[in-house]
Amino acid sequence: MKYTKKDLGSYNLHLVETNKFKTVTVRVVFHTPIQKEEITSRAILCDMLLQSSEKYKTRREMTKQAENLYSADIATNNQRLGNYILTSFHMQVLHDRYTEEGNLEKAIEFLSDILYHPDIEEKQFQTDKLDIAKYNSVVSISSMKEDTAAYSLIRMAEAYDKNSPLSYHMVGYIEDLEKVNEKNLYDTYIKMIENDYVDIFVVGDFNQKEMFPLITKYFKFKKIKKAKGSYFLPIKKPRKRRLLAKETVENSQSKLSIACPFKELTTYERNYPLVLANFILGGETESKLFQEVREKNSLCYTIHSSAHKLDNVLTITAGIDKDNYTKTLDLITKILNELKKGHFTEKDINVAKEFYHTYLEEMEESENRMITEILSSEILKQDPFEERFQKMEKVKKRDITKVFKKLNMDTVFLLEGEKHEED
Amino acid sequence: MKKINLKGLEMDCYTEVLDNGLEVYMLPYSNKKNYFISYATRFGSDVLEFTDEKKKAHKLPLGIAHFLEHKMFEQEDGQDPFTFFSESGTDSNASTSFDNTQYICYGTKEFKKNLEYLLQFVNRPYYTDENVEKEKGIIAEEIKMYEDVPDFKLETKLRECLYKNHPRRIDIAGTIEEINKITKEDLYSCYENFYVPNNMFILIVGNFPPKEALAIIERELDTKEKKKLPTISKVTEPVKVECKECQLKENIEIPKVALGIKVPTKNIKLEKLELDLYLNMLTTILFGSSSAFREKARQEKLLSGLYMEWEMLEEYHTFYMMTSTTQSKELIKEVEKEWKNMEVTEEDFSRIQKVWIANEVRMIDNIDSTVNNLYDDILKFGGIIPDKIEKIKNMKFKKLKDLMKEIDGTNMSIVQMIPNSK
Repeated sequence: MKYTKKDLGSYNLHLVETNKFKTVTVRVVFHTPIQKEEITSRAILCDMLLQSSEKYKTRREMTKQAENLYSADIATNNQRLGNYILTSFHMQVLHDRYTEEGNLEKAIEFLSDILYHPDIEEKQFQTDKLDIAKYNSVVSISSMKEDTAAYSLIRMAEAYDKNSPLSYHMVGYIEDLEKVNEKNLYDTYIKMIENDYVDIFVVGDFNQKEMFPLITKYFKFKKIKKAKGSYFLPIKKPRKRRLLAKETVENSQSKLSIACPFKELTTYERNYPLVLANFILGGETESKLFQEVREKNSLCYTIHSSAHKLDNVLTITAGIDKDNYTKTLDLITKILNELKKGHFTEKDINVAKEFYHTYLEEMEESENRMITEILSSEILKQDPFEERFQKMEKVKKRDITKVFKKLNMDTVFLLEGEKHEED
Repeated sequence: MKKINLKGLEMDCYTEVLDNGLEVYMLPYSNKKNYFISYATRFGSDVLEFTDEKKKAHKLPLGIAHFLEHKMFEQEDGQDPFTFFSESGTDSNASTSFDNTQYICYGTKEFKKNLEYLLQFVNRPYYTDENVEKEKGIIAEEIKMYEDVPDFKLETKLRECLYKNHPRRIDIAGTIEEINKITKEDLYSCYENFYVPNNMFILIVGNFPPKEALAIIERELDTKEKKKLPTISKVTEPVKVECKECQLKENIEIPKVALGIKVPTKNIKLEKLELDLYLNMLTTILFGSSSAFREKARQEKLLSGLYMEWEMLEEYHTFYMMTSTTQSKELIKEVEKEWKNMEVTEEDFSRIQKVWIANEVRMIDNIDSTVNNLYDDILKFGGIIPDKIEKIKNMKFKKLKDLMKEIDGTNMSIVQMIPNSK
């Protein structure tokens, strides 16, 4: 694998040459500071750009074109990274070696067409297409509660701090949907193309000398963008007493979601001991949460924790029976307190390190993971890949304990399932 | 060890059948760091009753195959398999389906040790009254978790409507009431009858040495003896769907519709793989993302996304479609119209062929999807298909047209899920 980054002024071009894939992946990523009101229109925009374009007037025509390019895969998505929203346009296609000469270039041109030549008349998107996108959006927003684990996390984050981007979700909001129209959606589009900070990633078996002119031919942005602001969410002020919140829904199972914000972490703590701490607490089947809550006490089927490095918070989720709420919460609290006292073994640490090593090795086997890693590495000021494992190896127990001590249970949310049995 | 070239994919696959009947499939990669091992048995929730070699009849509590899968992780020496694999940063898991159960581990390190241990732990059942009891709470939570997933309930209901007698009507995990009846004796009798080498296979994909892998497998499993497989009581399933229309209320905001077609395949003169390819071709042309139906449905806001899948049973193939929609009636009408007219063009046919060939090549890049694909082929077609690309290339439009004559698109079940509040 050979990674090169080129600063082209208006965007950064990341080229990853690897012989691991028969495909070439191109991803264009737009970054902008997140604003809640803009999420919905960004979501609609993604859908619209794949509905039709200047050249391909319907989704069907567009899909057929992708299929004709030997099944080129085109996708878009919005994700939040700390304080920012990232809008991505993704294209993956087989290398010409497996298709025909010029197919890759055509596919890159296709992606560029989608991005630069949308289906627009007089600076407005098409009304009928917008109606379809809005309908799709209503369905997605209204179906959100069906994923109870994700919904519980959102509700917990709202209780944690409803003004924090942590509580935003990328599906969009009904109240903002009404405000989106043909004209202001065009403004959103122009703002994205003209003002957003841009990264372009290319991963595959290619030659830099050939790929570079190809990308710069089809992707041009006018402005030189200024340095970005911080991606980190501010550190949360600790509460005097933890907040307990709940909502009752008609479900069989209850979903418990917990937020534990960190006190100030150093870059080192964030990128090394925190990763191990999360593994030990609730990363895998070996974790304390899985072993104690599920295996020893049969209180749940799923339980795990995730460290959100940019958000300065660690979350815990579990699917439980509502009658076991207090018992489960007490047990989780106890586990966390034990860890703060350093009650974990060298073996626990070694297992976590081994998993981290596997994670680094497997990263190279997936284009998506690689792109995500490169993106977040810059933001998190991570060390180069080659150095990371060695540094992780050196992490001591006391470093991990120190991180555990900086964690405090702040918000506990129960999406309480209450099933009324049918007669 | 037989070496088979996967045509058009620049890969060689190795296969072997041990004397005791155990099948081994291996696909080594030279440019990957990770590997994936699956040790599987052709035993799943479809088995409700069987007669063993001593002619003893067994009636099983629902969900037992899945329960057994959970309990496989209990070892007499106290070693937790998850822990064993974790020590080398290796992930492990297991899953139960209608017609199979598999135990997997995947990672980048300690291949030989992990392969050896995977085989050993699956060969060492240890059930006690106490450990069986402990699992009931965990599985009850798993069942309840699925009960809260509307799409899962919709699919389960559709199965109930399509089949009158076939065990596919029943959820893989069973019911809380039924799993509470499970005893260690039940588990042992299932294990002894279905976890036998001639009912099992091993699939290994990724970065590993095939010769050494086979040596480990032979060493670990050669002593396991072949056994006469039990007779599984078969049910007769009528051609007609059990229920044409049904409705259920659920805690949702946007209504959902599931439509299923039941196609009896006894009289269709195509071999299994061909039949699978042509049926998929038909529904991809009719309902796939580049179909005229999808464009119309999108424009008229009849649906946003669509989940569709064929399921193969011995005498039936069933086709599932599921979506959220605010216009159920209109959508159903359009789907019925599509099945009635079944319009396909040669242009669509060749385009989809091209897509499938490209997808076969693309898929091989990714170990996870390759594993899934090979695993499916082993279960469905009894082995790896080395010339799948050729088979796709050789598909003929006329054969599709002939097949269409055999399909009765009115043999359909429709399930509507409506919000509680309505």
